[in-house]
Amino acid sequence: MADQVLAARNVYKSFGRRQVLRGVDLSVGRGERYVLLGPNGAGKTTLLRVLAMLTPPDSGEVLLFGESAADRPADARARIGFLSHEPCLYLELSALENLEFFGHLYGVPDRAARAAAMLREVGLDHRAHDRVETFSRGMRQRLGLARAVLHSPELVLLDEPYTGLDLRAQDALGELIVRMSGQGTAFLAITHDVAHGLDIATRGGVLASGRIVHESDRAGLDDLRSRYASIVREASP
Amino acid sequence: MTAVLAILAKELRVEMRNKQTINAYLLLSLLILASFRFSLALFDPDYQTLAAPILWVTIFFSGMFSIAPSYRREAEQGTRDGLMLAPVPASDVYLGKMLSSLVVLSALEAFTVVVFLAFFPVDVPEPGALVALLALGTVGFVAVGSLIAAISANLRQSEVMLPVLLVPVLLFTVVMSAVSGTAQVLTGASLGGVSEEARLLAAFAVVFIAAGYLLIEYVMEG
Repeated sequence: MADQVLAARNVYKSFGRRQVLRGVDLSVGRGERYVLLGPNGAGKTTLLRVLAMLTPPDSGEVLLFGESAADRPADARARIGFLSHEPCLYLELSALENLEFFGHLYGVPDRAARAAAMLREVGLDHRAHDRVETFSRGMRQRLGLARAVLHSPELVLLDEPYTGLDLRAQDALGELIVRMSGQGTAFLAITHDVAHGLDIATRGGVLASGRIVHESDRAGLDDLRSRYASIVREASP
Repeated sequence: MTAVLAILAKELRVEMRNKQTINAYLLLSLLILASFRFSLALFDPDYQTLAAPILWVTIFFSGMFSIAPSYRREAEQGTRDGLMLAPVPASDVYLGKMLSSLVVLSALEAFTVVVFLAFFPVDVPEPGALVALLALGTVGFVAVGSLIAAISANLRQSEVMLPVLLVPVLLFTVVMSAVSGTAQVLTGASLGGVSEEARLLAAFAVVFIAAGYLLIEYVMEG
């Protein structure tokens, strides 16, 4: 694949005696929107944490931007955005203060202007000075997305990005992802929401029982949508 | 250094808005001092002699409550991942949080000292020396306390594990030296007269800061 930003090679991860990832191979190219589907307990969140360097793999290799993630974690982290179940926000701080703080850590130039622009982007500019503890789940998720892409990352990892979002916010998130990928940002989103997930995908895969059991390019996404349940069933032990 | 200052400012802002830590410290130190005051009043003891252990036990146990939430809150709110993902060294996170705890604890100690002097009939012939010992002891306390707070935040029952891990380390290092030096200062010794204790406290502070700085990356990776 040309211009690969992420590659996982034969990644294994266990917690105690429970093997969660069993030889995952995965790659995402620049500007691609890869949506990884899977049932609960398939290992999706663990895989995303391994790819984000939050959890080391037991074996296998993760390459970010062509280099081993283990060798240059600070460089790689500066080029990654990550949004997990938890939007990583300080409840006692306002929306603007949260973005300015993370902008500071990422060395974002002209932080205040960039933070304000991102708040407009996710439709929270009218709540910029309100504390996050007063926000709904969906608003926190939108602010979490703004935090994740604040530093214009080249790769964005999303864990169940639609959780807590209403229909309008889901559409807005989809539009933002498509727009950013058009500018070269790669997305890897994991979800069990087949319909929403595949709506924005340019490539899709299925993770079941700790392995990638199916991959589809853009032309095969409709087939994946219709066969998803049977793919998962066949892969289950 | 800019990340350290950003983390310091964030910590102080969160702390001032949360106030749970500050309120818990103030209430606990008041209760500890009142407990000593009323229980010892039965025996009419020599307060000048007992003053140093009373003061440091109060600071020590109240202080644990001001240090503990710093890392635990990050784990509970899910912001720990945000810090670990940021392209800043874990040592910057440690230094920012440690400096914040130092600022907060120093301010709270001033309250403790004022209440202590109001509760107990104690003379402070060398106030400068007392302040110096308090400052040195607090730096060591906060340095190791921040590291152990980070360790305990990864554990189940972190509220219990923090004192279990922290007390043995601090009791035979910072607390003993601080109590010994403070006792001498309260009976008239100058800072020069307690230079051995002051040097020990400074050495503990340097060692604990270095340990925290070097180990925090492994601790935060859990």
